[in-house]
Amino acid sequence: MTALLKKEMRLSASILSYLFLAFALMTLLPGYPILCGVFFITLGIFQSFQSAREANDIVYSALLPVAKRDVVKGKFLFSAFIELTGFLMMAALTLVRMTLLADSPLYRGNALMNANPFFLGTALLIFGLFNLIFVGGFFKTAYKFARPFVTYIAACFLCIGAAEALHHFPGLEALNAFGFEHPALQLALLLGGAAAYILLTFCAYRMACARFEKIDL
Amino acid sequence: MHIVELKNVCKTYPAFRLQNVSFGLEGGKITGFIGRNGAGKTTTIKSMLNLIHTDSGEISFFGLSLFGHEGEIKQRLGYSTGTVSWYPRKTIREIADVTRSFYPTWDEEAYRKYLTLFALDESKKPIELSEGMKVKFNLLLALSHRAEILILDEPTSGLDPFSRDELLELFKTLKDHGVTILFSTHIISDLERCADNIVYISGGEIRASCSMADFLQKCGRPGESLEEIFLRLEKEARA
Repeated sequence: MTALLKKEMRLSASILSYLFLAFALMTLLPGYPILCGVFFITLGIFQSFQSAREANDIVYSALLPVAKRDVVKGKFLFSAFIELTGFLMMAALTLVRMTLLADSPLYRGNALMNANPFFLGTALLIFGLFNLIFVGGFFKTAYKFARPFVTYIAACFLCIGAAEALHHFPGLEALNAFGFEHPALQLALLLGGAAAYILLTFCAYRMACARFEKIDL
Repeated sequence: MHIVELKNVCKTYPAFRLQNVSFGLEGGKITGFIGRNGAGKTTTIKSMLNLIHTDSGEISFFGLSLFGHEGEIKQRLGYSTGTVSWYPRKTIREIADVTRSFYPTWDEEAYRKYLTLFALDESKKPIELSEGMKVKFNLLLALSHRAEILILDEPTSGLDPFSRDELLELFKTLKDHGVTILFSTHIISDLERCADNIVYISGGEIRASCSMADFLQKCGRPGESLEEIFLRLEKEARA
C-alpha cells in the first residue's frame, strides 16, 4: 500500500495536485461560494490523471508485481490522500471562522454559505461524487476522462448551488449556523457527509475494480 | 514439466482472433517467439501478463494459475517491451527508486552492473533517450530484480548491431544462471544466435512449438535456412 501511494506521488502525480490544495484557503473568502474550493482541489487531482495517462502510468503499474485491482487502489489512495488533506485544511480554517472570527462583521453580513460543519459535510459529499463519477468513470476505459469529468463538473456545481440555496428556504436557516449554533444538527450533517464520502468512495472503488478487470491495456 | 504453460488461450478482437494458443516454456531455456507483424505475438504476451482480458483458456507460471496469484507471479517475472516510454519526463533514477520498492528481491549490484553495461545515465529522462536506449532502460528494470522468467517483447528492435550482439550474449549468460527467457522477434538471425526452442505463431494460431532442432527437421526442407523456412511457411499459410 505504501509503495503504491509512493509511486502515485512520485511518478504519476502532477505538481498541480499539491499546489491546488491551496484552494482550501477559499474557506476564508467572504461573499464567495466557498465550496468552489473543493472543486479546484478535485481539478488538481484531475491534472494528475491527465499526466499519468501521458506517461503510460496505467500499463507500467499493471506490470508491477501487484494484482490488477491494486492499480485502481493506487489511484483511489492518491485521490483520497489529496481530498483528505484538503478537507483537514478546510476543517482547520472552518474552526478559525467558527471561533476567532465567529462575530466578524465581514462574515456576519455574508449572504452566501457559512464555513460550518454543514459546509464540511457538503465538501465530503462532493469529494465522494468526484470519486464515484470521475475516478470510477475513468476506469471504464483507463484512458478516456472527458465525459466523466464533465459529468462530475455538472454534479459538483449542482451540489454547490443546492448547498448555497438551501439556507434561504424558510425553516432551513439553521444550515447556515454561525459559530457553534445548532450543534446537533450541524454535527449530524457533517457525519452524514462523511458517511456519504465513505459509501460513494467504496462503491466507486468496487465499480472501478470490476471495470478495470475487463479492459484491455 | 513446463515452468510456464498456456492452454487454449483465446481472445477475439473485431479484426483479429487469437485461437486456442497453447505452448509451454522449459525452465532455463531461451524460447524465441516468432511471427510476422500482426500474427498475435504481442497479444499473447499481453495475455501472459494479464494486460488483456482473455475470452477463455488457462495461463500458469511455476504451477500457479495467473488468475489469483498475479502479484506473486509478477515478483518472479521480468518484462520488457520495445520502445514504450514510461514516465518520459522523470529521470531514470526516480523511476528506478520507485520500482525497487515493489521488489524485495531487487538486486542493487545487478542494477549498477547493467546501468554501466548499457551505458545509461541515471540523470537522463526517457524522453532524452534514443529508441535503442529506451529498450535498454526497459531491460535494465527487468533484469534488476532477479527475475526467474524474462518475457521480452521485441527487445532487439531499434538496437544497433553491437548492442544486439551484447544483448544476445547477455541472454546466454542469463540462461546459464537458470533464467528462462521468452523473446518475441521478427529478426530471424536473433533466433539462430541463441534460441533453444521456437514458438511460431501465424494468423493468431500456434503453428509450431518445439526445439530448434525439431523445428528444422519437421518444417524444413533440405538446404533451407531458417529464414527460408519461415518465408515459405508464411506464403503457404496465406495461399
